[in-house]
Amino acid sequence: MNPIADIYTGASNGLREVWANKVRTLLSMTGIILGVAALVAMVGIVQGMLGNMRASFERSGGVLRLEVYPREAPESQQHIAGISPGMTWRDIVAIEKAIPLADYVTPIVDMSWESFIANGRRERSMLHGVTPDFAGISNRKLDYGRFIADSDIDAKSPVIVVGSYIAGDLFRNIENVVGQQLRVRGQVYTIIGQFESTASRGFGRSRRGWNYEDRKNYIPATTAMSRYKGDDGVNRIEILASSVEAMPDLMSQINNTLTQTHRGIQDFEIRTQDEQMQELKKLENSFTYSLGGIAGISLIVGGIGIMNVMLASVSERIREIGVRKAIGARGHDIFIQFLAEAVVISILGGLLGLVASVGLLTLAQDLIPQGENISNMPVTAMFYGFLFSSLIGLASGIYPAMRASRLDPIDALRYE
Amino acid sequence: MSDSCTVFELKDIRRTYQVGSELVHAIDGLDLQIQDREFIAVIGTSGSGKSTLMHTLGFMDSPTSGQMFFEGEDVSNIGRGDRARLRSTRIGFVFQSFNLLPKLSVLDNVLLPLIYGRQNPANKKELGYSVLERVGMEHRASHRPSQLSGGERQRVAIARSLVNKPRLILADEPTGNIDTKNRGRIMDLFGSLLDEGITLALVTHDDVVAQYAQRRIRMQDGKIVEDDAR
Repeated sequence: MNPIADIYTGASNGLREVWANKVRTLLSMTGIILGVAALVAMVGIVQGMLGNMRASFERSGGVLRLEVYPREAPESQQHIAGISPGMTWRDIVAIEKAIPLADYVTPIVDMSWESFIANGRRERSMLHGVTPDFAGISNRKLDYGRFIADSDIDAKSPVIVVGSYIAGDLFRNIENVVGQQLRVRGQVYTIIGQFESTASRGFGRSRRGWNYEDRKNYIPATTAMSRYKGDDGVNRIEILASSVEAMPDLMSQINNTLTQTHRGIQDFEIRTQDEQMQELKKLENSFTYSLGGIAGISLIVGGIGIMNVMLASVSERIREIGVRKAIGARGHDIFIQFLAEAVVISILGGLLGLVASVGLLTLAQDLIPQGENISNMPVTAMFYGFLFSSLIGLASGIYPAMRASRLDPIDALRYE
Repeated sequence: MSDSCTVFELKDIRRTYQVGSELVHAIDGLDLQIQDREFIAVIGTSGSGKSTLMHTLGFMDSPTSGQMFFEGEDVSNIGRGDRARLRSTRIGFVFQSFNLLPKLSVLDNVLLPLIYGRQNPANKKELGYSVLERVGMEHRASHRPSQLSGGERQRVAIARSLVNKPRLILADEPTGNIDTKNRGRIMDLFGSLLDEGITLALVTHDDVVAQYAQRRIRMQDGKIVEDDAR
């Protein structure tokens, strides 16, 4: 008469049965355990990785950062595309002069991967030409020395600010490499600054592995143009807005200014970090849903496993059901008993799955050594994984429990 | 209607089964009155309808037609829930093959009817021990049924049938799986229950067992063909 007491009785009967058939129960739980562990671990790793990417974005200017990339002129302007000078140093000058909403503006002149030579050693790393404003946008910290100055731009100085990768690999045993010299494509550069390593906070492998941030080295944009490019073209422009509110105005002002310097040709596009964050969010969602879907399927398979075991358990215990009914058990007593058994199995499986997922995430953390969490504990995924596994257990227990509860006591007692 | 001393009254009870295209009359117009503290033995060959009669008396089966009164109340057309409630509170069952649950201890087996009878007396354990004592099995309370002999198991089963203080105990060949030495002991135990206000009906084909009863009913083709009380 009292549903709480019914459930208590059912659950304790269920637990007793689970305990009496330990091996079978464990086997039937496997699907649920793997499903929950896979779900939680995958979501944890994806969230951890994308979280680090986001943190990396935040560090490099966050939502205030704008990037201008060259692109093909639109179809309607193709026939006159040639009149545009493309993205050049003049764009930088024009933006600096005309747009006070831009706090910092720097061109990026890409040389991509270059061989850096010093002390008889050779290392491959990236080289970019920038202006002093880059320091304000990138937010990178220097361990030693200074960043590129306006005078370096004016003088096209042969100076370089190196990342921790080059500093560490070309100049072993030298802590402070400022003042040292190195060669790139036959040109000699004097090191004026050395970046702090991001290995303890960036996304990717440690300094021995790949890490874009630590393998980037910077020279004055004008030096890059005169020594390598031979013209004043730039690969892209990075701009930091003075405030979030200024962003829309800033974007239209940049558009107007560049349209003018490009003689009306729309061969550039302005990208915001916001768009990249949206992309990241989309990526995160698609990862979460696809991985969640896969884990969900394995949970359903786990549920089918439980149903199978419960059906076997019902057929095995037809006589027991008959006895229980003969001494007064009603249909719903039997129903609750078998349902409770399925739920107990799936709850135990879910808990074991959570334990396994914590183990997997800890393992992932150990395999990818770095300070920042690649795999944080996804509490929401844990909650849903557990909830879902319990519901699967409930759903897969209903049919076997119903079969058990509908058995006729006389037939059940006669069953051999 | 029945008087206050009548536990069960059956009037023109019929029970038919459809087996394939054939209609089987397991009970075919049966009248029976069972008085308080009666000890009845139902005898008959297999297929005579005695098992169906026991199932009907035990509220495991309902008659196709006819009237049934239990403790003065018309129970001819009661539902499954009410039948289960009567089974768990008013009826005790003893089976030929004991039907103890192998995974439960002797004590837990004995206490099982209390769970389904929704009775949760404070002194549940003592109650269990007292009925085990009644059948001389209290020293085996924590054992599993598989650790007991046939005679011992049947005594535990009798203890289980007693725990909810039933009005009527139904026994289906209770000595069928027990050696002759223990048979007498079990039957004496049954006999002693009458003093406690319990009415007994047992099905047997063993004439020796039937001799313990005060009243013998012989069934054939779903009808009573011989009744000591008549």
